Amino acid sequence: MPIFALQRSYKYMMYATKQPSLRINQADLKCKNGCGYYGNADWDGYCSKCYRNHMDQERQRKARQSHSDQTKVSGFSKFEEKKRQQTDKKNKYLKSLPVFRKTSSAKDSGRPERHLDLRQANPDADKLTAEFISLYGVWGEQVRRDFFKCVQSFTTKIYSELENKPIEDIAEMAQKYYNLYSNRVNNTETYQEVTTDVRDELLDFFEKYVMVSLYSWLFCPPSTNDEEKDLIIQERIRKLSWVNAHHLDCCISETSIEVRDLVYTAITHLLGMDSMKAPQDKLSCVVSCCQSVVKVLQHCQGGPVSADEFLPALIFIVLKANPARLKSNILYVTRFCNDSRLMQGEAGYYFTNLCCAVSFIENLTAESLNMPQQEFEAYMNGEITSVSAWESALVACEGMHQLCEHLSLLKDLSIRTNTVQDETKKLTDDILKFKEEMNEKVNSVLERTPLIIKPRKTPELSEKVDDTQNSQNFYLQNLQIATSNIDDAKTKLQLDITPCVSKTSPTDDHSLSKINYDIDFSDLSGESSLAELTPEKRKSPSFTPDPFSPVGSSCPITQAPLIPTKPDDFVLPFVETQETLLEKEDEGPNLPSPIKPMTAQYSGFSKQGWQIPSIPCITGELGANASQANSQTSQDKEN
Amino acid sequence: MANNTSGASHNFKVVLLGEGCVGKTSLVLRYVEDKFNTNHVTTVQASFLNKKLNIDGKRINLAIWDTAGQEKFHALGPIYYRSSNGAVLVYDITDEDSFQKVKSWVKELRKMLGADICLVIAGNKTDLEKNRNVSLEEAEAYAIKVGAIHFQTSAKLNKGVEEMFLVLTQKMLETVEEKEAQNAPLSRQNSQRRNVVVVDDDQVPPPPTRQCCSNS
Repeated sequence: MPIFALQRSYKYMMYATKQPSLRINQADLKCKNGCGYYGNADWDGYCSKCYRNHMDQERQRKARQSHSDQTKVSGFSKFEEKKRQQTDKKNKYLKSLPVFRKTSSAKDSGRPERHLDLRQANPDADKLTAEFISLYGVWGEQVRRDFFKCVQSFTTKIYSELENKPIEDIAEMAQKYYNLYSNRVNNTETYQEVTTDVRDELLDFFEKYVMVSLYSWLFCPPSTNDEEKDLIIQERIRKLSWVNAHHLDCCISETSIEVRDLVYTAITHLLGMDSMKAPQDKLSCVVSCCQSVVKVLQHCQGGPVSADEFLPALIFIVLKANPARLKSNILYVTRFCNDSRLMQGEAGYYFTNLCCAVSFIENLTAESLNMPQQEFEAYMNGEITSVSAWESALVACEGMHQLCEHLSLLKDLSIRTNTVQDETKKLTDDILKFKEEMNEKVNSVLERTPLIIKPRKTPELSEKVDDTQNSQNFYLQNLQIATSNIDDAKTKLQLDITPCVSKTSPTDDHSLSKINYDIDFSDLSGESSLAELTPEKRKSPSFTPDPFSPVGSSCPITQAPLIPTKPDDFVLPFVETQETLLEKEDEGPNLPSPIKPMTAQYSGFSKQGWQIPSIPCITGELGANASQANSQTSQDKEN
Repeated sequence: MANNTSGASHNFKVVLLGEGCVGKTSLVLRYVEDKFNTNHVTTVQASFLNKKLNIDGKRINLAIWDTAGQEKFHALGPIYYRSSNGAVLVYDITDEDSFQKVKSWVKELRKMLGADICLVIAGNKTDLEKNRNVSLEEAEAYAIKVGAIHFQTSAKLNKGVEEMFLVLTQKMLETVEEKEAQNAPLSRQNSQRRNVVVVDDDQVPPPPTRQCCSNS
């Protein structure tokens, strides 16, 4: 299709590379080959046909060359250059095998392999599909199916043509496809229910989907010299690093912090362009960069920003940012972004401005910076190195940033050390407190415990103590009980029965099943000095219901004595210590008789009786703890 | 794209060209915001503005692109005015040089875009009539010669601005509709591939006849 062979980049790049002049000679515009058609600076001054011939020849020459010096690798260190080598190698490889390439693309058998390849190479496809379903799933299965059908046909078609056609033709195809799909969305029944807004979104999404899918083939394709252009512009910008805002007559104030921040933001957005895949995403990066530039200018001068001020500022930003693969990105967007978006709208305007800025940088002369040629040359050769305010400001900014980071880090660290110190202080306090507490406890325990240790050594004393009742301690009694338990078994039984019979006479039926409790009563009465009182107390409640209950039942009566006694049984042995100690003194003469019942009580509760002696054991443990604590504290002291 | 498939609405791209300080930005701000004093303007940026119009029931969206007027950016003009439907060439009536600059723009535009682009020449700052350096007769005669329409405007006094943009829009509309009638199915291609025609200085360019490499 020779008519379409006119390259799209022509529209962008051709004129800008020419110096302004009122007259452009006709000869200047014609093809270098003299075929009579118009040439293009982008095609080295050839027309499209001659350029293609020329490039074919070049390729063949290169292919021949590549056989001879395939291993020639010069030591580049930069990423771009490395990448270029890789693509060059790939290029050479592909070109050195033209026969293989042709056959594989011509054969149908090659196709399924390619599909697979395409899907593997596109990790974003699943994400995009999911996004599509979440966004446009509501419009029904038909829309979805049609969308993916179109995507499939688009990618397949482009992919199959990728190696046979120059990138400009591919771009032309892509644009036609966009139009085709646009017509399809607007005119087919499938999309009838879709609202106009969503239709536009669908078109955008279509573009995004196919471009992300084909990104690795369409961005900076090996068949072009985009990579070289990238390197050239990068080197150029690097050389122009001395250019400052004053050279460009741009009113960016270099001292304001806000302005610096905004400049940083703009630079970040511009740098972010390279990481995007879809053309519209790249465009939106450009837009946000330009919006930041507008903000910068507004900050510096106030009022609405006109193009007279905007363009120099954008040039300045581009110079300071030196974005990676700038030219490749611009060309990619130019080729594959939907024309309608690129020609119209704010995004188109800003992108055009970026193209202008790049073009200006490429053709920058001493004149355009209003400086003498000699000075310009000196700058470019590095003979003069100016410390531009911006350079230093940016460096200072960097320093400030680091300073701030370090300060915050230090602050954080000091807070942490403070907390650590507080914690250690607390810990030492706790340790001291614990030590004191332990000492107190140990002392208190020691106050109580010395009595334990002594009787253990003299178990025979117990009988004497029993008899005399001079023993002061409950524990001692317990110990004694524990030891003398078995011996007294017989006496208990005898004692138990007698009070049982005497007391529980009204409730004979139940007494049998609750012998234990009955025994307890007797024990209580017998054991404690209150023995005489308690029966009376019990009798009074048990007797009072009696007048009411003869008709009813004996149950309340039997229960009545049981309920109050229960707690007594459990409490008394513990409370006992105080009571007995107090009252034993008072009721000295009664003592001999309670002694035996008391022993009987514990034997009656054989199990409980075994538990109670365990109390001394606990005190023993406490003593052990105390000794441990002591050892700990002594260790602490040592430490 | 200049023309939408529906036909009911149009998007037009209009570039503002002219030397620095002739009042390009003021003109567009007066037109879109109806304000002159920049302190009162709410727009953040005046370099790209949209204006919606309705002419004979046709919805029209004007995208007005401001361009940097400094001489050093002159070479970037083609990137700006590429595929635009109309151009407003602004000069300062008190500044003869700015009028010469307009002449050079006209030549360049005709050379690059042929007859596809509608041109309007605006002699701005008529409020400074007493300092006039460019004669009205000369300017109007030139405009007729190159197929443009001449207007006298004052952004400060709000004179002729609205009228100028309206006439330009009507003209663009005519051009587009004419072209649609001529070759409706090929409209996109034509708008895409504007032909380069080299013209002599003071001639209205002939209609494009040849396409690059069309015979291969």
